[in-house]
Amino acid sequence: MNAISGAGICKKYGKRRALDRFDIEVPENAITAILGPNGAGKSTFMRMLTGLVVPDEGTLTVLGRKPSWETNRLISYLPDRARWYQGHTVETAIEWGSRLLPSFRKDEAREIVGSLGLEADMETEGMSKGQEARLMLALCLARDVPLLVLDEPFSGIDLLSREKIVAALIDSFSVRRQTVLICTHEIAETESLFDHAVFVHEGRVALAGEVEELRSERGSMQDIYRRIYA
Amino acid sequence: MNEAQIGGMRFALDLSQPLYEQVLEQVRSSIAKGEIALGERIPSVREMAQALKINPNTVMRAYQELERDQLTETRRGQGTFITTDAEKVSHIRHRLAEEAVDEFLGRMSSLGFTASDIASILRAKGGEVR
Repeated sequence: MNAISGAGICKKYGKRRALDRFDIEVPENAITAILGPNGAGKSTFMRMLTGLVVPDEGTLTVLGRKPSWETNRLISYLPDRARWYQGHTVETAIEWGSRLLPSFRKDEAREIVGSLGLEADMETEGMSKGQEARLMLALCLARDVPLLVLDEPFSGIDLLSREKIVAALIDSFSVRRQTVLICTHEIAETESLFDHAVFVHEGRVALAGEVEELRSERGSMQDIYRRIYA
Repeated sequence: MNEAQIGGMRFALDLSQPLYEQVLEQVRSSIAKGEIALGERIPSVREMAQALKINPNTVMRAYQELERDQLTETRRGQGTFITTDAEKVSHIRHRLAEEAVDEFLGRMSSLGFTASDIASILRAKGGEVR
């Protein structure tokens, strides 16, 4: 079963085609990566999943339906930029999450925050970009929903934060087996996490498949990436 | 190359080859070399995925294959254990030996040596193995 399927999706901004007959299938209970450089069309597609951007043409279903507020309740979404209001601490951010985010598990949030190396009384003001990203990720992972969508979870983040994020994802996936969709242009430390990969090039899917098969046919995701985009 | 050690088992994973086969082969060879003892518990899927920094589905696939080959058995609520059957271990040792010899013979024949050349080189070395 596919958690997400899209066929023939087109989206233009002015004259520029952000997505041009884009086809995609994201299987359930697996980790799928959408790979490609900035400007390839990844972000446009990610925004379509929550209905923020609507396709000009083509069809998109998320968890069997058109994106809407109903499907959004079932998606845990990590935006590519973490921003916090002033005056929050890690603990008040968790309280905020439990009031506002559907299917949020407060106890799990506290546990995950700890495993990501954050303390309850840390203030969000003055956090490094990596710490902010870890806090956002903890709030995402604490939700018991079928689909986890991570938009550039590793970009511009220090090595240790990246490693902690990878470890938290492995733990979470071991327990929940949620469908996970990660959009990233950083492959080096993360490609060992992927079950499926989708390479996006100029608004289209240049290559997609099961990562283990791609490895035996064409080598590492990094090698393939270089060959497609070099 | 990602390297890791878990208990007595050592792993080196090459991202340009399927990971599941590498995990499988490296657990097998750890059993053959005695890095992990008969009847010993192997790390859970989560522990192994965490140590190797790989997808838990990949570990699970390798573990399922070990179980199919009856090299491991899962006891409900206790985890997965290496077989206590020494025969099965000696069977893998034998298989790994054959693979090593095949690889050696393949290299020698690609260098142009015939079976009798190889035999005489081995004899000249006293047939001794380090």
